[in-house]
Amino acid sequence: MPPRMQSRSVSNTLLPYLTSTSSSSSSLSSIPSLSSASSQCLLRQFSATAAPQAQTKLRRQMFEWLNNEGSVFKHHVPGETNYLTRLKQRGGNEGSETSRPFPNNQHFISEPILSEELRNEVYNRVVEQKKSVRVVSVELGIDMKRIAAVVRLVELEKRQRAQGKPLALPYARAVHEMVPTTPLAEKGERQTYHEPINDLPAHPLTGSQIFYPVPESRSFNRVEAGRVFSGAPAMEHSEAAEISHPSDLAEKIMEDPNSIGWVGKGANARQILQPADVRIPHPHLVAQERDRLAHPNERLAVADLQAKRLERQDALEKERRERLQARREKKTTIVSPEDSRFDYRIKDTIYTTETTGVDGRGSKATGRRYGVPHRDRTRGEVKIPTRVEA
Amino acid sequence: MRNRASNALSKGKIRQSWSKYNLYNMQRFRSPPTTNRTFFQQKWSAKAASRAYHGEQVREGQWKRMFNHRIRSVIPMNASDLAADDGSLVSSGRGSGLDKAGKPAYQTRPTPYTHMTFAPLERRLDVAIFRALFASSARQARQFVIHGAVTVNGQKMKHPSYLLNPGDLFQVDPDRVLYATGHTKTPYERRQGRLTRRKAKAQRSEGAEEAEAAPQTEEAKETAKEETKETEKEDTKETLKALLAQAKSVMSAGKNTLAPQRKQELRGFQQAVRRVLSRSESSTVLADSLEAQFSQLTLLLKAKRSEKPEKKDVKPRPEDAFATDRGDAEVASAKKDTEATASDKLSEAFAQATLGNEVDASELSDEEFDTLKRALTQMRDNPLDNSKTYSPPLAATPIHVCLCLHPALSRGQPEHLCSRVPAPPRRPPGFRRGAHSLRRVHCHSGLWLVPEETVVDDAIGLYFSA
Repeated sequence: MPPRMQSRSVSNTLLPYLTSTSSSSSSLSSIPSLSSASSQCLLRQFSATAAPQAQTKLRRQMFEWLNNEGSVFKHHVPGETNYLTRLKQRGGNEGSETSRPFPNNQHFISEPILSEELRNEVYNRVVEQKKSVRVVSVELGIDMKRIAAVVRLVELEKRQRAQGKPLALPYARAVHEMVPTTPLAEKGERQTYHEPINDLPAHPLTGSQIFYPVPESRSFNRVEAGRVFSGAPAMEHSEAAEISHPSDLAEKIMEDPNSIGWVGKGANARQILQPADVRIPHPHLVAQERDRLAHPNERLAVADLQAKRLERQDALEKERRERLQARREKKTTIVSPEDSRFDYRIKDTIYTTETTGVDGRGSKATGRRYGVPHRDRTRGEVKIPTRVEA
Repeated sequence: MRNRASNALSKGKIRQSWSKYNLYNMQRFRSPPTTNRTFFQQKWSAKAASRAYHGEQVREGQWKRMFNHRIRSVIPMNASDLAADDGSLVSSGRGSGLDKAGKPAYQTRPTPYTHMTFAPLERRLDVAIFRALFASSARQARQFVIHGAVTVNGQKMKHPSYLLNPGDLFQVDPDRVLYATGHTKTPYERRQGRLTRRKAKAQRSEGAEEAEAAPQTEEAKETAKEETKETEKEDTKETLKALLAQAKSVMSAGKNTLAPQRKQELRGFQQAVRRVLSRSESSTVLADSLEAQFSQLTLLLKAKRSEKPEKKDVKPRPEDAFATDRGDAEVASAKKDTEATASDKLSEAFAQATLGNEVDASELSDEEFDTLKRALTQMRDNPLDNSKTYSPPLAATPIHVCLCLHPALSRGQPEHLCSRVPAPPRRPPGFRRGAHSLRRVHCHSGLWLVPEETVVDDAIGLYFSA
């Protein structure tokens, strides 16, 4: 850069005096280029270019927006959301936008969280009233997994309270007034559902488009569609005649999970895709609806039937869990010596090609590492844990 | 990793952050133009925008490996629809249901499938912490993890990129959460913090000296007791004074914004506190700890309550229980009835309650009673504590509220634990019900490129027809 000319006739020695009295001195008026209020510019005696303004244009615009249009975001009404979409829809359809935080994405909805009362009610029903998770889920309209998580967290909370550990109560309050919440219904009112509870996981097989000709005279239902998707042959007429509605299968499979047929051979073998009535988390709701349709005037009888159905399902699930647990316990022997800090879990080794691999060094085989250097020394090996045992 | 993420206005990128710069950038963001731009240019800008929001802390190599063509999702099913039809009605006719007056019998809605493109990133520990509203930005969440303030299933986890599994329980140190989400301290508060720390230090050194001078233990103990009594007394007094100061500051700060009702309520509250302060000079009850007072009080209140007949006609909304604002000071303002708060009876009752005396609650109206109870709970839960790094009577900073959202990802509920049980993200966020049939998803080699009718990105909502 070529040397710059000094634009001012003021010498360096004078500058401090000028800056100290910049507001009132008459000498300032003699230097027209120094009229800006910033004293910073006075100190740059070697530069002829004008000093940048205190704020960039963008910054100025931002604060302008924050002070005018954006000022509505400074304060919010407790218990209501205050999202950006508020700016877009002035006047017209209010309410529809209150839970959409992103103006460019209409599909995104900020989901409500459980209110304090509702989550306590969940804990109360599951732990104190000893209702099954399935029943509570249907009663309150909360996903079964969420119910399990809530029970776990409320228990943790009780433990922390008992231990006298600090809780971030003010924070909880602040959060509950910022995001939408699902309240617990008053007595006599109907509980608003927190979320859809009968979510059908989209099976990858259903993603393919298949041209499958069916005569118009034949009815083609969900059971048959599942068979087509999984490449299974069509059912025999006698077999198809037994199924009056796909939800019949749900009950059959609940009683005997092994009744699902298989397609393919060897490693490619997989179960036939079942209809949605079987794969949803609450198949009993469909059965109940069918009972209602069949007997519209017998509410008590329908309710009775449903209670029995749920009881049966719970009993079966419990039995299955116990059987699994017993099998697991049978496989392993736990030895805990008195003076040891450790428990020893001893399992029998099964030495087959399935368990140890062809060369006897399969990834799950015992003794795989014998004579093999540890792999965390090799390049590119990820050492971040993939799971933490609870 | 170099910290490149910032909320520069010149770039105008949207980040996972609660800053006001981010808010401004978000509101002025427009989808990049597609006309007169090559395919590569479109891809470039689309990737830059979605990468800034979702993957600013992810290396390019990870980013490339992270995604899957097969996007998981769920479809909410309606039990009565399933019961009414076994599927043969939908497939009747030529395979898509019989027409109803020229319209297809079964209308389908598009499923915003590609929302779930970024599901693997939502499994990351740092992103999960940000989503759970435990940190004010993904960067800050990352810092919490690295600094060892986060546990997963009770064990310290120091890797921000740890991918949470369904059923994991993560927990953040409550102090950090309050620091991340609360107001910054005012210079006054900072000074108070310094003073208390200095005092504590002096006391500690005194204690050490006393310990050295072992022979006169009895005397030392007695003096120590007296000292602690005095300090406790001073503490409670200071708390009250601080409450008053807060009420004042709220009044002065929000002169233009506070509703007149609220102002009146605040004034009532100020009066109550002032009365308590004037009385506490002669009182010895203040020497008790706040905690003991509180438990006594709640017992008393309960007893009084049961005696009183129920005459509530409108039950307060559940949100009202949480409807608190700037700490204890505005507690009174949560209420709607103006005169009631400012009334002498309430302030009297509050004074009595703070002093630990018998509270005559029978004269109070229902709303007054509620306010009193809430004020006391607040005082216990959200005390003024200058030793903390944050400004302790927690209140959300205003801009936060517009950026606080809850996607259908985490399943934890009790916020005050600062812990969550994450769930595998299955539902496209925002997708509720109605779509019974799935449209096929076309996967392109570039993941940020999706065909029409789908939306990629939660914050950005970019969409480019290929």
